[in-house]
Amino acid sequence: MIHILGIRHHGPGSARNVKAFLEELKPDIVLVEGPPEADALLQYATHEDLVPPVAILAYQTDNIQQSVYYPFAEFSPEWQAIQYARKANIHVRFMDLPLTHWMAMKETGGSGEKGVGSSEEAVVIKEEEKVGSSEEAAETKEEEGGEEKERGLYVADDDAAKGQGSMALPKKNPIHYLAEADGFQDEEKWWETMFEHRLDNEEIFAAVNEAMQALREAFTKEDDQRELLREAWMRKMVRQAEKEMFQNIAVICGAWHAPALTNMPKAKEDNDLLKGLPKTRIECTWIPWTYDRLSMYSGYGAGIESPGWYGHVWQHPTDDGTLWMAKVAALFRQHQMDTSVAHVIEAVRLAESLAALRNMPKAGLSELNEATLSVLCNGEALMMDLINKELIVSNRIGSVPEEIPKPPLQVNIEKIQKSLRLPATADFKDYMLDLRKDNDLERSIFLHRLQLLGIHWGTKSLVSGKGTFKEQWRLQWDPSFVINIIEKGVWGNTLEEASNAWLIHQCNEETSLQQIAELLQQVIPADLSNAAKAIAQHIQDVAAATNDIIQLVAVLPGLAGIMRYGNVRKTDAEMVRHIVESMITRVCIGLPIACCGIDEATAGKLTEDCSSINHSIQLLQEKEYLDEWHHCLMKVAYLHNAAPMMRGFAARQLMDVKALTDVPLHQLFYSSLSKALPVADTAAWLEGFLKGGGTLLLIDENLWLIVNDWVQQLEEDSFVQALPLMRRTFSNFTQAERRKLGEKAKNGGRNTVLAQQVQAGFSTARAKQGIPVVMELLGYPVSNL
Amino acid sequence: MSTILRQHAEDLFAQELEELQKAESGKRPTSWKLTPQSVVTYLMGGQLKNGFEITPKYIGSRRLMEIAVATLTTDRALLLYGLPGTAKSWVSEHLAAAVSGDSTLIIQGTAGTSEESIRYGWNYARLLSEGPSEKALVETPVIRGMKDGKIVRIEELTRIGADVQDTLITILSEKSLPVPELNTEVQAVRGFNIIATANNRDKGVNELSSALKRRFNTVILPVPDSIEEEIDIVQRRVASYEKTMELPVEKPALQEIRRIVTMFRELRSGITLDGKTKIKSPTGTLSTAEAISVVNNGLAMAGYFGDGQLKAADLAAGIIGAVIKDPVQDKIVWQEYLETVIKPRDEWKDVYRACRDMG
Repeated sequence: MIHILGIRHHGPGSARNVKAFLEELKPDIVLVEGPPEADALLQYATHEDLVPPVAILAYQTDNIQQSVYYPFAEFSPEWQAIQYARKANIHVRFMDLPLTHWMAMKETGGSGEKGVGSSEEAVVIKEEEKVGSSEEAAETKEEEGGEEKERGLYVADDDAAKGQGSMALPKKNPIHYLAEADGFQDEEKWWETMFEHRLDNEEIFAAVNEAMQALREAFTKEDDQRELLREAWMRKMVRQAEKEMFQNIAVICGAWHAPALTNMPKAKEDNDLLKGLPKTRIECTWIPWTYDRLSMYSGYGAGIESPGWYGHVWQHPTDDGTLWMAKVAALFRQHQMDTSVAHVIEAVRLAESLAALRNMPKAGLSELNEATLSVLCNGEALMMDLINKELIVSNRIGSVPEEIPKPPLQVNIEKIQKSLRLPATADFKDYMLDLRKDNDLERSIFLHRLQLLGIHWGTKSLVSGKGTFKEQWRLQWDPSFVINIIEKGVWGNTLEEASNAWLIHQCNEETSLQQIAELLQQVIPADLSNAAKAIAQHIQDVAAATNDIIQLVAVLPGLAGIMRYGNVRKTDAEMVRHIVESMITRVCIGLPIACCGIDEATAGKLTEDCSSINHSIQLLQEKEYLDEWHHCLMKVAYLHNAAPMMRGFAARQLMDVKALTDVPLHQLFYSSLSKALPVADTAAWLEGFLKGGGTLLLIDENLWLIVNDWVQQLEEDSFVQALPLMRRTFSNFTQAERRKLGEKAKNGGRNTVLAQQVQAGFSTARAKQGIPVVMELLGYPVSNL
Repeated sequence: MSTILRQHAEDLFAQELEELQKAESGKRPTSWKLTPQSVVTYLMGGQLKNGFEITPKYIGSRRLMEIAVATLTTDRALLLYGLPGTAKSWVSEHLAAAVSGDSTLIIQGTAGTSEESIRYGWNYARLLSEGPSEKALVETPVIRGMKDGKIVRIEELTRIGADVQDTLITILSEKSLPVPELNTEVQAVRGFNIIATANNRDKGVNELSSALKRRFNTVILPVPDSIEEEIDIVQRRVASYEKTMELPVEKPALQEIRRIVTMFRELRSGITLDGKTKIKSPTGTLSTAEAISVVNNGLAMAGYFGDGQLKAADLAAGIIGAVIKDPVQDKIVWQEYLETVIKPRDEWKDVYRACRDMG
């Protein structure tokens, strides 16, 4: 006798039904939907260290990117079935199409050899690939801002999910039609009310079977090669079990497949279909899983959004919401939020009214959530995040016994170690890398990536010499790195993937602009383009949101350096350029305001930073930026309530580029240093004006004249007053500069020292010969001479 | 057509309410004019079984309306909370109209709202000549609502002084209002409930005491979810204004409305619609209601001073006025937005020019 149990993956109601059904039926073999390659792993299922949520990870040995996770929670029907079988000491087998065939088909299928009948199917396969690459796929999807990972993908049945989840096929989930017919807008909700939350479940599997049969008749998906193969294989497994003389066979599969297994076609048809499938090597292992990741769409293709809630439903099937609300209240109290019993009562009552309004027998999660929001949180969704994190998703993590095969990230790292000839040794070994050599560059990238993942195998030490192309590393392997690798394995199966994903995650957690810029600097030597892009985007986002222009000002020079010069590693300058561009605009708009109402220390820092920005902007040599910047400086120079040091600095920069000359410059200079102003302000102005200008004051006649004239026209008592300010400014200059300035003043403004240098052995004719070369070096056309 | 400037909801949509009443079959709570399901339908719009079309009053999440209606069936009062211009009063008016068939029991909350306007007052001439009696009592909307089992609306609850607000506590928990002068009390009839509105943007208002807060279920009305939703709202409301104000102008191009809604959404949410660039948000709320008034303003400009066609120049002043509420901070925000977002958009050149000319 064959019993087909159509379930929803991760449905607590289904799990309960399966458990009850099996206990009553007492089958002698249980067939569960899942990859047969993992059959060997089932021996661990009752191992006491294997605590759900766990997942079976299956990957193609020669291409780890191709991997699938089959997650199990305590409330997964498959888990319950396996548990039952192991405890009752009967056979249990996975019966899905072996991954060895499927993954091999995917590879050949992509090149159009087998199985690609129609274009539509190609899309399906493509979508499958996304699913197959699991972690990476999920991460990138999220990053692309797509709602793909969201609810849309999660459907009662994986096949249906493929139809609906793929963006390329905007088909409705077939179950949706049933839900609609029953007056529900959401098939999830319908399934939950109909099958998961009800308690009387006689004949439920027959009912599911019948419903799916009706749907399958209306929505045949004959063109989906993989589905045909999967179902054929499942039938094959069932037949085999029959052949082996099992009497009472229980089959646990996604509801959608149930009819296909009930109405068996001739064995020959299936065998023909399954003949000559390609093969590849697959390996499986148990890995710990988290409730959080149960929401991922992989393996069974059914993610669930609220594993914590399902866990609750599994443990407390008869709760009418009171217990849940009590949990919520307890959580709120833990976080110092007063929640009275009256609140709980009101919330349960509102949830019930809502359920009644929606014609439902019992309040579900959404009713309870809405009641919580309205009664306990005063409508503020902020606290719902807490509930979502702690209760609805819940932060449970599974565990796995020690005697389990290795995870793919580790396999990948070991492979790279081998190919780069960097053996892991217990003793330390030094390497000197020359980044101009490909192999060494790759080694450096590899080591940097490990660093970023927190696997500190190598220690970089300072290298003597001026070149930027040399790196010195000392490597020493520590067995505890394996733990790190496994831990980071959730971020991806290859080192590149994992470090990209990990960094993106880190960067998204970070809100300080400086920290993020530091991350960017770390990423560049690790050659992680995805992460670099994400970080760059994040810098931009944070920069846009920050009102603190000063923070922005501090980051700009570093980026400008990369943009202008690039580096040995050929980093993408175009990407940086975009950030720099928008940051300059922001700085220029915000700087005048930022200069107002700041104290002297901040002004000093700001002047310092603006000085490096000024440098960077000049470095970039883009007229547009220069104009924008000078326009902004002009504003600052004439802004009366701006910090005097900044005004002085701005005036000076404008003078240097001749944007401010003659009369206006003199006016500004004298008015800013007039006697009526507080001494501290004039001092600061002068300091800003002469910033870093010791040598310039010596060389630049113009500057010298202005300052000198001003000093000369001072009357004696004003001069005495001004003296301390001047001392303060001039004390920043070096000893030699001060001496030369003194000499220059003594000589009536002539540069004795420089003049002498010029005198010594100078030959005009020879100098002229060199000029074209110098001009070319500086990038000027020689013909201008 | 009547010359009344603005009709009450129950008069304007009398036919819809009647049809809903005819079509429904479920059980009505005592004193309710419609079943809870029909109230939700009235708010969200839909087609009745006999084919009668109910226009949507609230465009947005059905769930929120369900929570609001479900709250009114329990003994907790409803507090609609949200930014200015998110249709709080609009929803409260329509809820009262649908539930009680009467949206006129209303108290406008101000800093000067006194206890007398919430509980009861006295007709002093009568009080002096006849002494305290039922006849000398001046009933407030609250008393009438309690006696008739109707919904009472309190607008801007948080503007009312804290001491006055707290007079509501007895009314909401005991459902009765003692009148010690007459040694009697008014007991609420089934169907009585209170819908209050309050906005969460203004600072310095009177926060509800936690005792009072506990008597309210709060529903926060959000700004519209999607741009389509918001455009729909703006279009509908603008169309209804045009009718009442008789503006001599062509219907506004969808494209103009879309641009304004886009600008408002982007500035409000601090990110461009394509999700690529973050921007600063101004201090104002930039609600849908403001978008509506910008379009109306533009229509009036175009109609009376322009060539009758809505152009970017007609809208510019309105847009800038709506965005720049704080002359220093908002100006930076606006300039940044203008230069970094509007300027690069090719098809927005006219907006950019018009806005820049305005300063």
